[in-house]
Amino acid sequence: MPSRREFIAKCVRGGLLTGLVVLGGTLMLRPRRDDENCKFNFACGSCSLSDSCNQAEAVSLRSTVWQLDPSKCIQCGRCATACVITPSAVKCTHAYVMCGYCDLCGGYFKPETKTLTTAAENQLCPTNALKRKFIEDPFYEYTVDELLCIGCAKCVKGCDAFGNGSLQLQIRHNRCVNCNECSIARVCPSEAFSRVPANKPYLLNGFGTERLANDKTQQEG
Amino acid sequence: MKHKILIIAGLALFFSVVTYIAHDLFSNSSVKYSKSNPYEYDIQHLNKFDSVSVSYNENLAFRPQMLEMHGVATDYSDRIYVAGNKFLEIFTKTGNLLKRIALDGNALCITIDPDKNILLGMEDRIEILDMDGKLKEKWEPVSQSSIITSISSDGKNVFVADAGLTSVYQYDISGKLIGHIGDKDPHRGIPGFVVPSPYFDLGISGINEFWVANPGRHLMEKFDFEGNLIKSWGITSMEIEGFCGCCNPSHFTILKDGSFVTSEKGIERVKIYTSEGKLKCVVALPQSFKEGTRGLDLCVDSKDRIIVLDPVKKMVRVFAPNIDSKNNN
Ligand code: SF4
Ligand code: SF4
Ligand code: SF4
Repeated sequence: MPSRREFIAKCVRGGLLTGLVVLGGTLMLRPRRDDENCKFNFACGSCSLSDSCNQAEAVSLRSTVWQLDPSKCIQCGRCATACVITPSAVKCTHAYVMCGYCDLCGGYFKPETKTLTTAAENQLCPTNALKRKFIEDPFYEYTVDELLCIGCAKCVKGCDAFGNGSLQLQIRHNRCVNCNECSIARVCPSEAFSRVPANKPYLLNGFGTERLANDKTQQEG
Repeated sequence: MKHKILIIAGLALFFSVVTYIAHDLFSNSSVKYSKSNPYEYDIQHLNKFDSVSVSYNENLAFRPQMLEMHGVATDYSDRIYVAGNKFLEIFTKTGNLLKRIALDGNALCITIDPDKNILLGMEDRIEILDMDGKLKEKWEPVSQSSIITSISSDGKNVFVADAGLTSVYQYDISGKLIGHIGDKDPHRGIPGFVVPSPYFDLGISGINEFWVANPGRHLMEKFDFEGNLIKSWGITSMEIEGFCGCCNPSHFTILKDGSFVTSEKGIERVKIYTSEGKLKCVVALPQSFKEGTRGLDLCVDSKDRIIVLDPVKKMVRVFAPNIDSKNNN
């Protein structure tokens, strides 16, 4: 007849063993990060190649990236919260060529703003990432500080509704880690994300923006 | 007994942690995102004007047979002309199609002059058709960067608004350029036009007053034919009295008594101002339009019905005063 002490010890051992089996199984079965998987250390984020991997395949997978189509974006704000990196790899991009250099910028000011000053309470951007500089009456230049921008799309929505849509969201590929499955794409309500060839990662809307998209690609080499 | 409870509690805790880790690793992350988002920017409240009464009813709407439409005009017998990409369509005042004319390009604006010519702004050039739609004249393109968004004529002069070059041109009826109107000139007290988006309208009233919308400054400006700025009116505001956003009014037209009908983008609304620029009444509020509608070109007929071209619903929409409206007098 086993003693009470032995019974308790058996229970503990049994419990720990079951726990270890569950934990081990969990860790074995979890989706692996691609850089752990990749024989060529590409960390391309595009696959779980395991046994079938060969370099050509890896190279071809690395040659595509995620692209955000601003014409589909409805500025829901999720780009700020769903990215795997913080702050998000999605940033506001300014299509200068389209910008009206407006004094009353719908992307910069909260709609009910009475005085057009740079006071924090007047600004729509929650992180002070959108800057404004006087050029000449009545024109102001707007620039985005990408270190501060969290990709929340408030300015984009304001510019789209009350301006001419020259502020647009883009995935910045100098930050994006090119996840196998972009976690923003999974929650984007407008299916604005798609996989595209890596040499054409940017897509901006409107006249004269193709050059800007090329410039951004070149900047990132 | 005490030990047993502790062990059971420990095991329960252990399994909870393991379950949590497993759930976190395997669950679809989209479930973490509810429909609301802390960064969502809601601008719907700006479209609500609960205390504002609307003095007009929409009593006719019809659909032109073209995918892209930009300009609307009426003639001396209240026929309605709709110009767009590759086509010009002419309707009776009740919306029956009379004629469909193929165009060589994209017509962004249209007017009918007192000599019964159809004048079209074809992106960068002017074309003149007779009333049968036969091409009479094609003027030289202004510039490759031109976006001709409005045209008006008193029979002697033709005024053209070019949003691409932010300029207003004055031509004689033969197409000879006479000069520019409204360019920035501090010595003459002319602030200059600000045109952030391709909406730049002008018009001539029944008593030959020449008006230009200066959208970036939220002003309506009156010039004489020598280019002197006579007066201006307009206030910047999201409220019903003002013009909203970066660039409004996007379009306007002038009623027989000299009052103005204006349309806006951003907050889609059509309003009437007195000839002095005081808000008189409201024709349509944002709920009459699809969110994001822009390019609501306007014209009026001899009965002062207001004709609105809605390029998003792809309809010509005709508004007439409410019979019982107290405001509309
Ligand atoms: S999640 Fe999609 S719709 Fe929302 S802001 Fe990002 S791109 Fe736009
Ligand atoms: S409002 Fe949002 S998207 Fe725009 S600059 Fe600021 S942080 Fe970036
Ligand atoms: S691929 Fe990854 S890093 Fe890039 S935007 Fe999507 S979630 Fe962010």
